[in-house]
Amino acid sequence: MKITSPHMGNIYLLLGDLFKRFEVEYIPPPPTTNRTLQLGIRYSPEFACLPLKVTVGNFIEGIERGADTLVMAGGVGPCRFGYYAEVQKRIIGSLGYNFNMITVEPIGAGLVNFVKTFKKLAPKSSIKEIYKSIKTSFIKAQVFDFVEKKAFEARAFEIKKGATNVAVKHATEILNSAFTPTELGEAKAEAFRIMNAVEKKEEEDYLKIGIVGEFFILLEPFCNFDMCEWLGNRGVLVERSVYLTDWIGSSKENPVAGIGEEEIKKAAKPYLSHFVGGEGLPTIGNSVKFAQRGFDGVIQLFPFTCMPDTIAKSILPKISRDFDIPILSFVIDEQTAKAGVITRLEAFLDLIRARKNSRFKAKEKVVETVNC
Amino acid sequence: MSSSTNKSILNKGSAVSENEFCLPVKIFYGHVLDLTDKVDFIFIPRVVSVKKGTYTCPKFLGLPDMIKAIDKPLPKILSPTVNLNLGFKKYYSTILEVGKLFTQSYFKIGYSYVSALKEFKNTKLKQEEEWIKSKKETSEVKIGLVGHDYNIYDSYLTMNLTKRLEALGVKTVTCDSLPSHLIEKEVSTLPKKLFWSYEEEIVGAAFHWLRDRTVDGIIYVLTFACGPDSLIQVLLEHEAKNSSGKIPFMSLVIDEHSGEAGLITRLEAFIDMLGRRETEKVLV
Amino acid sequence: MEGYLGIDVGSVSTNLVIINRENRIIASVYTRTMGRPIEAVQRGMVELNQQLDCEIEIKGAGTTGSARYLTAAMVGADVVKNEITAHAVAAINVIPEVKTVIEIGGQDSKIILLQNKVVVDFAMNTVCAAGTGSFLDHQSARLGVPIEKFGELALKAKNGVQIAGRCSVFAESDMIHKQQMGYCLEEIVYGLCEALVRNYLNNLSKGKEILSPVVFQGGVAANAGMKRAFEEALNVEIIIPPFFNVMGAIGAAILAKEQTEFQPATNFRGFSVSDLEYKTSSFVCAGCSNTCEVVKIQVENETLARWGGRCGKWEVASEKSLNVTCKPAN
Repeated sequence: MKITSPHMGNIYLLLGDLFKRFEVEYIPPPPTTNRTLQLGIRYSPEFACLPLKVTVGNFIEGIERGADTLVMAGGVGPCRFGYYAEVQKRIIGSLGYNFNMITVEPIGAGLVNFVKTFKKLAPKSSIKEIYKSIKTSFIKAQVFDFVEKKAFEARAFEIKKGATNVAVKHATEILNSAFTPTELGEAKAEAFRIMNAVEKKEEEDYLKIGIVGEFFILLEPFCNFDMCEWLGNRGVLVERSVYLTDWIGSSKENPVAGIGEEEIKKAAKPYLSHFVGGEGLPTIGNSVKFAQRGFDGVIQLFPFTCMPDTIAKSILPKISRDFDIPILSFVIDEQTAKAGVITRLEAFLDLIRARKNSRFKAKEKVVETVNC
Repeated sequence: MSSSTNKSILNKGSAVSENEFCLPVKIFYGHVLDLTDKVDFIFIPRVVSVKKGTYTCPKFLGLPDMIKAIDKPLPKILSPTVNLNLGFKKYYSTILEVGKLFTQSYFKIGYSYVSALKEFKNTKLKQEEEWIKSKKETSEVKIGLVGHDYNIYDSYLTMNLTKRLEALGVKTVTCDSLPSHLIEKEVSTLPKKLFWSYEEEIVGAAFHWLRDRTVDGIIYVLTFACGPDSLIQVLLEHEAKNSSGKIPFMSLVIDEHSGEAGLITRLEAFIDMLGRRETEKVLV
Repeated sequence: MEGYLGIDVGSVSTNLVIINRENRIIASVYTRTMGRPIEAVQRGMVELNQQLDCEIEIKGAGTTGSARYLTAAMVGADVVKNEITAHAVAAINVIPEVKTVIEIGGQDSKIILLQNKVVVDFAMNTVCAAGTGSFLDHQSARLGVPIEKFGELALKAKNGVQIAGRCSVFAESDMIHKQQMGYCLEEIVYGLCEALVRNYLNNLSKGKEILSPVVFQGGVAANAGMKRAFEEALNVEIIIPPFFNVMGAIGAAILAKEQTEFQPATNFRGFSVSDLEYKTSSFVCAGCSNTCEVVKIQVENETLARWGGRCGKWEVASEKSLNVTCKPAN
């Protein structure tokens, strides 16, 4: 059994670790490139959302690398992501490939089924071993998430350009080589030390932007044009609403992002009082929270035709009006060009900086000419 | 009630709604705007689930909030939540809640509910009976129309699809003519249960007709940017290609750019194709 | 005399202007990019130089438009700005109290909302051709009417023909249909203007309040039919600035002027850049698994700039040799 699974940010690190524990061969697909996307577009239904197309491409490239078992996450709706696996099985099957597809349904959809699925994925391990492996891998993945979060905080203020990326790479290597829980504990401390050691300048006048939207686009740098890094390189402090382990974990507290689901729900209530699947409600709730915390702007990212986040997009203008905070929505599909995204981002930064400056001026009564 | 869908409703709707929404949602916005000056209350229930263990589409879940976010003065919006995942007890209390807005009499509320339900069931039964009768009629060409009710029964959106088919001498039948146990049976053959109830009807009806061959062709009406349809389309086309029945199947994707000319051409070609198959059958 | 150079290189047109200290235009050039930005800029520089009747010292240079980074590396720009900010700055220069800027170019269109000279909201459309100038270009070719005649014809029409569809492809089939039904040319032409305005408003101004004064700029503003269609649709007066088709370049020049006030000297390499031979090439960086495609621009074997890498190591190398601020100015 050679397993492959689509890319989504750091998930390949988690799966690599997990399958090592299961003693099962794991072949990650090559990093998502334009070829991946083109393959996905060719075989997927026209107005399926981008994640479906990209992951179809990932699967095909994984099979090309020699994988024979495809692992995909499931779901119970109402977002269509939950039915991806069924559709992908048919799409890829009709291309003539031979493979076995294993869908991991959430624990909430039935514990027995969940255990059975993992018995299939780890034929050599006992249930107890599987439980332990999942637990340790999950903790490791959580550390990766914290490293990513710390990188957002460090990059905006790094003195030496690129120092944060070097630190992330270093921390990742150290974490990757840790295996036992004890090793992992040490690696975690070391990784955090490395991340905290990035030299930062004291900056008082910086921009803060909250990033919200659909999880796949937020997590997969190929689809979001590395937006968080791009902003960080321009001295913007970025906070993202979704992290991998918050998303797959069963905890309602979202330990990495640091904001629990109840709080999100409460914040969203005046605008959206019911869940709508996917990240619809979190997008609204997190935007409100960012606004309340005095962020300078919010950026929403989601794939074209995504149902929950399109609903959120239709409500965001109201939040923007009520809190007087600029919100920029990016609807991403296969035609979205990086150049267009960058132009909008640059203009958005100009916009929020000018707003900030004019507010500052009004307060301090400083007369000065401002660019634009 | 708002007027039947027309051009001005669609234009009003698409002017205020997100470009990314599907056509029916844009039309819905238009209907709401059509009502704004005419009424005191607009009834927009939040239909979360109409069958245990399933959902409707996310946009149904968000409709009242989406409408409230329009930057225009609107009448008061009544949006009770219908969620059968929470059981019938909760469902009945929702009905009472709505009823109490109009009357204090529990009897009246109960009576209205029961008679509405009866009316609905009778209509459905009539449709089912009619279909059983016409199934025996072999001389006419019959087409199964599958798709969301709000698409199929909106003559503006489908550009008079049903009437056009009738004019071409074709009898149409929708999934409402099939009893629910048949739908259930077909849907249960899927390896993974669908979590959308309206889509269950579409898949169930299409699968049923593909297998029992009581129709000569199937037309699947779907709208661009519809989330569930984008995946269901794969299931249906896959099944139509691989099922033994070989019933001709056509997907008709509609959006606000769709022109009538294109629709007519496709319909005529599809019907011609069915006709040729019939003659071939006779010849064989 | 002192002057400031602004260059706007878009996908369809390349515009260059020189302004003086009072933001007055001394020379301007509007030329087609035709897919070759470097040559277009070089051609434009020659023309610009010819227009100048006295000796001018360029004290600052700014670039904008989709090829802004390439052009900046080429001419030695002091400021590189996105086209939204550039257009806003130029519009403020004409009408200081402007609240809405409508800009329609060849392949993209923008709406910019301002309050007290500060951009408060914007939207940009780059994917759908139905809201941009290429829509009219394309249809004018179909109708056999030169695009320059469009405005004149459109003004003659009493009413526009309703042309359905928000997508240029569908609009085209509907237009052919209307032609075959026998509508007169003027009404069809004006109908197309109305369709473009509708497309623009539907795509870009959704949920945005268009307040007066409204400035309409970009190449499409040359078309009087468009002005009329906007005025009828919005019920407000539309102001078209005298240099409507080079506003992006004007904005870049103004920004260059502001930028150079804070730096000792300009980076501008002089008009001689039009005589140099520039070469662009790309390579795939093998430094990590990202396999980024890096583009580089060279002049006579000297590398001016590289970009396209995710980690930034190639860009860093270029900034040292060039000293260009390829970042939004703070």
